Amino acid sequence: MTKIVFKNIHRENSHTLAVYRANGGYQTLEKALSMPGDDIIDEVKRSGIRGRGGAGFPAGLKWSFIPKDDRAKYLVCNADEGEPGTCKDRDIIRYDPHLLIEGMIIAGHAVKAERGYIYIRGEFVREAEVLQAAVEEAYAAGLLGGSVMGRGVRFDLAVHRGAGAYVCGEETGLLESLEGKKGQPRLKPPFPANIGLYGGPTVVNNVETLASVPDIIANGGAWYAKLGVEKSSGTKLFSVSGHVNKPGNFEVELGIPLKVLLEEYAGGVRGGWERLKGVIPGGSSSPILPKAVCDTVTMDYDAIGRAGSMLGSGAVIVIDQSVCIVRAIARLSRFYRHESCGQCSPCREGTGWLSQMMTRMEQGKGVPGDIELLQSVADNIQGKTICALGDAAALPVVGAIRAFREEFEYHITHGRCMVA
Amino acid sequence: MPTLIVDGKEISVQPGATIMDAARLLGIYIPHFCYHPQLSLAGNCRMCLVEVEKMPKPVISCAMPVSEGMVVKTDSAMVRQSRKAVMEFLLINHPLDCPVCDQGGECTLQDLAMKYGPDRARYHEFKRHAQDFDLGPLVETEMQRCIHCTRCIRFSDEITGMEEMGAVFRGDHMQVGPYIAKPLLSELSGNLPEVCPVGALNNKPFHFQARGWELKKSEAICAHCGVGCHLRIDHLDGQIRRVQARSCGAINQVWLCDKGRFAYDGLHRERLEHPMVRSEESHSLQEATWAAALDRTAELLKKFKPEEVAGLASEENQGAEELFAFQDFMRRVVGTPHLDHRLRQRDFSGDEQPLTRADLLMNTPLEAMPQADLILLIGADPRFEAPLLNLRLRQATQAGARAFAIHPRLLNANLLNLTQSVVGPGDEVAWLEALLREVTTPGGGESPQRELAAAWRQAKRPLLLLGEYAVNHPQAESIRRLAVALLESVGAIGASWNGFNRLVSRGSAAAAQDMGVVPHRGPGYQRLEQRGRHAQHILQGAAKGEIRVLFLLGCDPGLQGVDTLLGRTALSKAYVIYLGSHQTPAAEGADVVLPGLAMAERQATLTNVEGRAQRSDLAVMGPLQAKEDWRVLRALSDRFSQPLPYNSREALRAAMAKADHRYGLDELEAGELTVACDHSPVTVGLPVAGQGGGASGGEGLRLVLESPFYQDDAVSRRSTILGQLTQGRSVGLGVLRLNPQDAAQYKIQAGQKVRLLRDARSVECRVALDGNVPRGVLLGDAGYAPALMQDLCDWDGGFPQVSLVGL
Repeated sequence: MTKIVFKNIHRENSHTLAVYRANGGYQTLEKALSMPGDDIIDEVKRSGIRGRGGAGFPAGLKWSFIPKDDRAKYLVCNADEGEPGTCKDRDIIRYDPHLLIEGMIIAGHAVKAERGYIYIRGEFVREAEVLQAAVEEAYAAGLLGGSVMGRGVRFDLAVHRGAGAYVCGEETGLLESLEGKKGQPRLKPPFPANIGLYGGPTVVNNVETLASVPDIIANGGAWYAKLGVEKSSGTKLFSVSGHVNKPGNFEVELGIPLKVLLEEYAGGVRGGWERLKGVIPGGSSSPILPKAVCDTVTMDYDAIGRAGSMLGSGAVIVIDQSVCIVRAIARLSRFYRHESCGQCSPCREGTGWLSQMMTRMEQGKGVPGDIELLQSVADNIQGKTICALGDAAALPVVGAIRAFREEFEYHITHGRCMVA
Repeated sequence: MPTLIVDGKEISVQPGATIMDAARLLGIYIPHFCYHPQLSLAGNCRMCLVEVEKMPKPVISCAMPVSEGMVVKTDSAMVRQSRKAVMEFLLINHPLDCPVCDQGGECTLQDLAMKYGPDRARYHEFKRHAQDFDLGPLVETEMQRCIHCTRCIRFSDEITGMEEMGAVFRGDHMQVGPYIAKPLLSELSGNLPEVCPVGALNNKPFHFQARGWELKKSEAICAHCGVGCHLRIDHLDGQIRRVQARSCGAINQVWLCDKGRFAYDGLHRERLEHPMVRSEESHSLQEATWAAALDRTAELLKKFKPEEVAGLASEENQGAEELFAFQDFMRRVVGTPHLDHRLRQRDFSGDEQPLTRADLLMNTPLEAMPQADLILLIGADPRFEAPLLNLRLRQATQAGARAFAIHPRLLNANLLNLTQSVVGPGDEVAWLEALLREVTTPGGGESPQRELAAAWRQAKRPLLLLGEYAVNHPQAESIRRLAVALLESVGAIGASWNGFNRLVSRGSAAAAQDMGVVPHRGPGYQRLEQRGRHAQHILQGAAKGEIRVLFLLGCDPGLQGVDTLLGRTALSKAYVIYLGSHQTPAAEGADVVLPGLAMAERQATLTNVEGRAQRSDLAVMGPLQAKEDWRVLRALSDRFSQPLPYNSREALRAAMAKADHRYGLDELEAGELTVACDHSPVTVGLPVAGQGGGASGGEGLRLVLESPFYQDDAVSRRSTILGQLTQGRSVGLGVLRLNPQDAAQYKIQAGQKVRLLRDARSVECRVALDGNVPRGVLLGDAGYAPALMQDLCDWDGGFPQVSLVGL
């Protein structure tokens, strides 16, 4: 299968500039620098690549929103990979930081941003070191700075470490944090494309998205669009975790059947496919898919959406028959309660409410009516918050009730788990 | 202008307006908590969610800009469900203690809970516990009630600039409070309870005093400084319980300063309750009937020649009615020209000039101040002379204006982009002359004025403010002329913009100028042929026996003024008639005491620093025997051949309006200010020839006096609330501020008692160390007993050199 973002990771010392260059690295940049910015944006649009961070917004379209005025513009790479279950960006940074840097320089050139920031999750200590070393290498080689490759294009890049808040992975929360403020998402509108970092037009992209850019420019958008399926083009990294025999990050074309991903790439479900209970397909914010759906669903944005979940960040969490869903969701709800920034009422109050109810139910203290109340509280949070964290907290609860209502009922009536 | 439809009604609004703005214009109320028209948008309460067609989710109306063709529904099923949901979320951790909450009855959360809240709780989990804080004497916290709207945080960041409130922790552990638990220091902190939509931040002195619905409400104007803020006095059983801001876009917007809000508890203390006459036998003051007291007053006034009688009026706590009647009484009934209100003013050479109202008051309307692009403060500390004016200046600097200050000490200011120059007391004229030279003919090289001069030349709308220090400076007239010249040099005195502002910060000072309580002008700025003695000469005359009777309207020259020692000498030599509201040594030593009323006890006209005359209503009754001051004067005039011709307040006001058209009813109701530009010519010598100001230099320490902001008039001085506020701060009565290095040199520690000596005069006071005070300067409070530092000053001595002895 075609490898794009993972094409180099098997090589010895793949994180160094020398190895990256020896395998064709930074050749695309040379090509891109001779292209007008709008042509690059068109090429990315043609590729159909959708944002790999979770929301799946078409990247080329996002770039084209940057106004053509003379304000200072910014490119920000979101490396705050905090979605539980996701660990794909970490591998890109760890093994191929120059791919990201090349992608960022191209993107910066495309949107006329002279300054880029990589906001990297605080827990990624080693990765931040690797990235910093790579940035320094690139500066030393004239790939970053006042004149990239001597072509008169300025692009400065800085690595900024976050402090571990999940909500700083939300793009405006990230910008606030990057500006040195408390990481609380901003009201939209205005969107970052118009008023973003330090008030300037800003593009915020995920690591995987930016790391895909060099190959898109090198081979053309049309080439990329042929990969994957319609409306979900290209390859995607899936971080498969949970009850599989060989968990890991896999780069596959979008549209691959989930069963193939788990059985052929991830070594199969522990104890066989029949032991599968459900799969959380796109990180902890996406509703769980029961086994019946998993049997047939394909991994692309639209198919997962039709199945009632989201492709999200591509974190595939596999859950087998040994797991009590109530307990799993209670743990998730605790996470969202802990990570809510506390800014807006529905999320601040609602995540705490959900978590306390789930914990109570898990402890066998549920009462009749709790399921309906859970659903109602989740509904009351959804769509009423400043950022998507409220939805992210509500959706798994709603999804789990939809798919595994009997387990919730069992917990209420028997005061213990349905699974032994 | 985009056109949209809200609830079926079409409306066009300004581009950039929000759905909330559009709904407001249509008279549609959208419930909200975090939205506040004077603060930035937070959009966090989510109560104002509305439905917009073609948008999948409800949107917050406070932050969503309108676009052409938008169709908004504010009362659809989706909206009702959203409001219900948000309301429930806000209530789950909110205590149900409305019956004991100060906010009960006037609480947005309570009102909206009645409308959108559930009738029973679905929440049966643990309620979170919030921590309370000691925020000082003005604000009581009950943070359990906090709904995290962040209004207080935005207020403290954006309005006060002090960043005293913040939120720590995340999620449902988020805790609003001071970053560091310490009392609030902002001069505007009393607004926090009003900003808070629930009962989390409460008015501490009002805590548990009354329920909102029991209170009677009177609309009044604040008299504690010259800004003239609109306020509402809430009273019960004849006692003022609380003072709240009334919104007035032209003046105070929706804010009040702490002095205006909390001075009220001094109103009823130490009042003059009965007329009193000094007995001929026992030489003590005895209670008397009004008739006897008025008879004795008339007897004293008739006993001497008219020119042996003089009148001194207070520049605070007086309505224009009182001031008009007072000058009318002194001039027409008694027949004396000796009349003044300027006990604090050192330089009277402006009296020689045909000064106009534009020379004496402010000419930039408060509302226009935020448009200024350069601010120059000369001897002004607006933050502690006129806080709501300072807020406008701050708004100008927030919009990008630069600010410069020239002052004998560093200001504790909250203006942005502020450059401060410490200019020694007495050096101001030379400094400003150099500035004017630099502005008109830019020289090379480095001068302290260069940066300011460069900015000044480029300013389109410069705003110059002469503050209390400049107004009462020994060379005040020279400073005023230089100020006008500076403005004229860049064409900043004109019909569209006049940047000249003289801040007469006392509540009644502008009215006293308008009403002609000065020796050289009558009401309405008419020139008088016969010029009387000004304040200094009145007191010197009394001390020498040339003035035999002093008629005091609410003022005490032994406590207030440039030279209180001279004031006390004068009071001891002359017969004294005291008409006023509060006890004071001058009243104790007077021959006749006539009890008057205070502000909030009478309907009065107050004129603010811009020259805007405003009517204030009465709220509570004064002592039973006390009378409105002008009625006392009217009754007294019956005992003379030519009584005052007005028998009712309406007739009095008609006479005032005749003398000064600005006090006519039409003008008052229109309430519009026009930019004045009728300045007197200033070409007659810059500065005033031969004006000695005692320029600095030489060894020793020079004494500069300032008014203690929180305690500088008869009512605020008696307020225990404001008294608590000054405790533990390096301001307040009888405190001498000293540079720490000077203190080290004189081996004096903070808090130590010292004696100040000058010739035969001496005063004991306590020392506070303050790095804002330059070396060689002693900063004293022009306060009141026991440490009366004005005893060390005299009218002609400039800023006195004093010696300091540690005790």
